[in-house]
Amino acid sequence: MPRTLNRILIYTALIVWTIIALFPIFWTFSTTFKVAKDVQLGHIIPWVDFKPAWLGLRAIGLSPDTIFTESTPRTEFIKRFWNSIQASIGASILALILGSAAAYGLSRFQYKWKIWKNRDISFFFLSQLILPPVVLAMPFLVLYKELALLDSMIGLILIYTLSVLPIVIWIMKDQFDTIPQELEQAALVDGCSIWGAFFRIILPIAMPGMVAAFILSVILCWNEYFFAALLTSSYAKTLPVMVASQTGSQGISWWSMAALSSAAILPLIIIGIFLERYIVKGLTTGSVK
Amino acid sequence: MASVEIIDVRKSYGDQEVIHGVSIPISNGEFVALVGPSGCGKSTLLRMIAGLEDITAGNIRIGDKVVNALPPKDRDIAMVFQNYALYPHKTVAENMGFALKLRKTPKAEIEGRVKKAAEILDLVPYLNRYPRQLSGGQRQRVAMGRAIVRAPQVFLFDEPLSNLDAKLRVQMRAEIKELHQRLKTTTVYVTHDQVEAMTMADRIVVLHDGIVEQMGSPLDLYDRPANLFVAGFIGSPAMNMFKGTIRATGAPHFETADGTRLPLAAVPPGLDGRAAVYGIRPEHLSLGGELKAQVTVIEPTGAETQVIARLAGEKIIGVFRERVSVKPGEMIAMSPDLKLVHLFDAKTGLRLG
Ligand SMILES: Nc1ncnc2c1ncn2[C@@H]1O[C@H](COP(=O)(O)OP(=O)(O)O)[C@@H](O)[C@H]1O
Ligand SMILES: [Mg+2]
Repeated sequence: MPRTLNRILIYTALIVWTIIALFPIFWTFSTTFKVAKDVQLGHIIPWVDFKPAWLGLRAIGLSPDTIFTESTPRTEFIKRFWNSIQASIGASILALILGSAAAYGLSRFQYKWKIWKNRDISFFFLSQLILPPVVLAMPFLVLYKELALLDSMIGLILIYTLSVLPIVIWIMKDQFDTIPQELEQAALVDGCSIWGAFFRIILPIAMPGMVAAFILSVILCWNEYFFAALLTSSYAKTLPVMVASQTGSQGISWWSMAALSSAAILPLIIIGIFLERYIVKGLTTGSVK
Repeated sequence: MASVEIIDVRKSYGDQEVIHGVSIPISNGEFVALVGPSGCGKSTLLRMIAGLEDITAGNIRIGDKVVNALPPKDRDIAMVFQNYALYPHKTVAENMGFALKLRKTPKAEIEGRVKKAAEILDLVPYLNRYPRQLSGGQRQRVAMGRAIVRAPQVFLFDEPLSNLDAKLRVQMRAEIKELHQRLKTTTVYVTHDQVEAMTMADRIVVLHDGIVEQMGSPLDLYDRPANLFVAGFIGSPAMNMFKGTIRATGAPHFETADGTRLPLAAVPPGLDGRAAVYGIRPEHLSLGGELKAQVTVIEPTGAETQVIARLAGEKIIGVFRERVSVKPGEMIAMSPDLKLVHLFDAKTGLRLG
């Protein structure tokens, strides 16, 4: 029965790959419950290799014995978590609004600025991705200092918007390009204004692409470390910066770092499980068949 | 319903002019076809009537209003696009009712009018479907439905049938014509297919490279093409044409470069010796007579026989009601109906006489 054999081979390969893919996540989650010795000895399997302890969750005030008590680490953790949410959602909304408008313009109207035409403008936006963020470190530090944006939520949202904007424009321009211009023209003839045609016809059709662009930019902002470390300190610090700061003078507190990392990857796992198909749908299928 | 008047309209893209001063009067209730080869500016002209393109110079009037500066939504026109341009996220009923909804028409009235249009177009079973669930022909009908529910002043069609297969095209052609007879709405219909134009229109405007070559009823254009372009464009298969000289000496005739003599009924005054083009339609040739041509292909369709042959170094096509038993390579004799020969000036291409 070569068919059955075929199946077995395919499933074996898939299972092996699943284990490879899921292992880092498993390791992060399980390390939350390990003491230093278990980490150093490379114990892997809970209850067999090591006895799970509440160490990690206690460090951020979320273990059963600390959860109902006053806890400074927990307050700190929740503050950072909330900062990350604000920064990534805020920046993504802003980038989506600005990026969609820019992409729609680039897709539908002909611009000319000196020798620059639409293609050049599009490339200019996309080329921002090539620039290593490190190059921007000093200028932004100086700029933010002058504008009093250092360590502020607004400052962080603005720089995140800037950094995901090229991707949003790219995705959305692609989306708008697949929508035939005749659709807007039909809407104009049917009685819409230009804005009416955009909001009533084009936006609903481009929605899958917008959802994909939004999710993608949330993920990118959520993972961002460099600018957060550079431009924020006590007030606007985000979760990734807090994770990195767990390397104290007494060595690394693995359990609390793992607990924070788990909290940081949890939203991404949820996105991965429930929203991944929207990303795929938005990025692969043309909007009009 | 309203008349449409296109008055010396020009259109430039950048410094390139693509419509060079076109004037077309269209009266109330008329069905006018704009026909011409691809790229001649038909769509551009139609889109200027719709308000989707700026008018570089000249005026367009709908009813008694100059509409140059009006946006499409204020022109009270409906347009059917080549790719139908149905809204993919709206159902058939929503597509058809969208314009009425924008005009804040009461819901019950929208439903009534959509239903009525759907009945006319046989779309009732599909009202709740989405465009992607329809066949090409059905989508085409929805696009028409979207136009007719509004009862606009003018219908504009831009090659609405060219995405359909041949059989459906013929069927829809008849349906659109019937619809026009029923609604009597002024219609401007763009097509590159002269058969479509001939069969549907009250009047045809032949466009070529951004100018009007000729305007007239289908039979006018067929019987008296104003120039070589129209002569070659209207009629299928196309008119046979030979270059040569008009001769009045002896029996009036037309002499091609290689000395072949083509018969003429008479030479119009002052044209003896004029370099000209001799035109005869394939269906105006009959079997037997003085022209001897060598057959290259025979295409019987049952009802008629199309013979492709060579005469005076040129291709000549004849369409005969009789069955033809000649084989390729053999000679065939044919003769033109002298009353139906066309002469054109060789230099200007204009009709002579
Ligand atoms: N947006 C545009 N920019 C530049 N040239 C255009 C544009 N649209 C059409 N043209 C040119 O105008 C001419 C007429 O085009 P069009 O009206 O679409 O022709 P048709 O519909 O008869 O095939 C063509 O030569 C075409 O290349
Ligand atoms: Mg066209």
